[in-house]
Amino acid sequence: MAEHTFAGLTCADVQDLASGFVLGALTPAESDTVRRHLAECPELHAEMAELNSVVPALFEAVDPVAPTAGLKDRILAAAAADLEARRPAAQPTPAPSPAAPDRPAVPARPEPARGWDLGALFRRPVWAAVAAAALVAALALGAWNVQLRDQVAGLEAYRTGVVKVLDTAAQPEAQLAILAAPAGQGPSGLAAWGADGNVALVMRDLEPTTGTQVYEAWLIAGTSAPIPIGGFQVGTDRTGTFGTNHVPLGEGVVVALTLEPREGAKTPTMPILALGTARAAQSS
Amino acid sequence: MDRLAGGDLGALDLLYEQYGAMAFSIAYRITGDRSAAEDVVQDAFLGAWRNAGRYAGARGSVRTWLLSIVHHRAIDAIRRRRPTVELPDSEAGLPDSLTLPDTWADVELRLDRAAVWEALTSISSVQREAIELAYFGGLTQTEIAEKTGVPLGTVKGRLRLGLQGLRAALLPLDGGGAGRG
Repeated sequence: MAEHTFAGLTCADVQDLASGFVLGALTPAESDTVRRHLAECPELHAEMAELNSVVPALFEAVDPVAPTAGLKDRILAAAAADLEARRPAAQPTPAPSPAAPDRPAVPARPEPARGWDLGALFRRPVWAAVAAAALVAALALGAWNVQLRDQVAGLEAYRTGVVKVLDTAAQPEAQLAILAAPAGQGPSGLAAWGADGNVALVMRDLEPTTGTQVYEAWLIAGTSAPIPIGGFQVGTDRTGTFGTNHVPLGEGVVVALTLEPREGAKTPTMPILALGTARAAQSS
Repeated sequence: MDRLAGGDLGALDLLYEQYGAMAFSIAYRITGDRSAAEDVVQDAFLGAWRNAGRYAGARGSVRTWLLSIVHHRAIDAIRRRRPTVELPDSEAGLPDSLTLPDTWADVELRLDRAAVWEALTSISSVQREAIELAYFGGLTQTEIAEKTGVPLGTVKGRLRLGLQGLRAALLPLDGGGAGRG
């Protein structure tokens, strides 16, 4: 091996430190100089590669210890909150232009910035048209009657729920969260809570609950453990509404929804079905 | 890993199902405390979740990559308990084994549990102790010398000979060992 000096270390010095380096048994300053030497030195330092290849074997020498129950859920909840927190940075909201034409419908993904376009929710001519079409079809096609009736009931229930949410969101200093499935396809809805602590939530496209199952709403602030705020059951209309009272946690709190086997869950059962970040419902 | 880098929570769930128990065992082995081990594992999985995009260029298996992060965080955790020790310069720093040059070829060693235990019995007890204190005790070579009452040069020799002995015992039984990559 040719002798080179980089970062104040010769190749012989690096060889002398190699076993300590791969085992993490050097001081940070020593490790740093070794790393800098390796980055610049043309020698391959094959001995260090050989020693390093042994290190993963040491993991097998560890006696198995069962992880704490609920740890996975804690990690997934924190990751979900992290994912939600990353969304605004990835999708900056364009500045509104007074000359811009009226944009149709709700944006494909929730826009995080201030100034929710709440009116857009009602500009969609969906309620009347879908309900009417569903009623006509139900009369004409008897076999689909029940299914379509459920759809109409779902739309009606959802509309009623949205009105409650918006009534809450209309209060001064209220918070609003638009909930969507993490993967894009799945349940969606709205949650709002006023400065007085009144919470209203409405969700659609939920699978009907069976037995003791409940959908549970959670508040996630930072990496703290999720806080359950209450649950509800869902029938064949696949729509759920929910009202409760909870101390407002402020802007940036993530609202998440899970399906729990029964009431009273202390930690969320994965997966998270829908989530959204609370923002000021009205621009100041 | 692509799914993980894309923010797929299902991929993180799967990663935990595969390696969560081993990650917790390693974190508990190093910290000796369930609560600290939980924090380490959560921190490591979230680190993997946020940095999955960097894995694409990293060497080694997902298992080694993830467990190295767990090891690194656990050692950080116990070193922070010791006020006199020099702390790592960056909390976000990757373990040394993840930042080694890409030009190095890996040797496919036998990493099953039985083979590793057999290999560990093939090296001397003082070599095993030195490796143990370094890798799971978070001690530096100098600290190992102080703790065991032998010169620093002796500690370095034990670590090197111990690792070389393990490697020799873990080389493929068919006499292979040709590098890959």
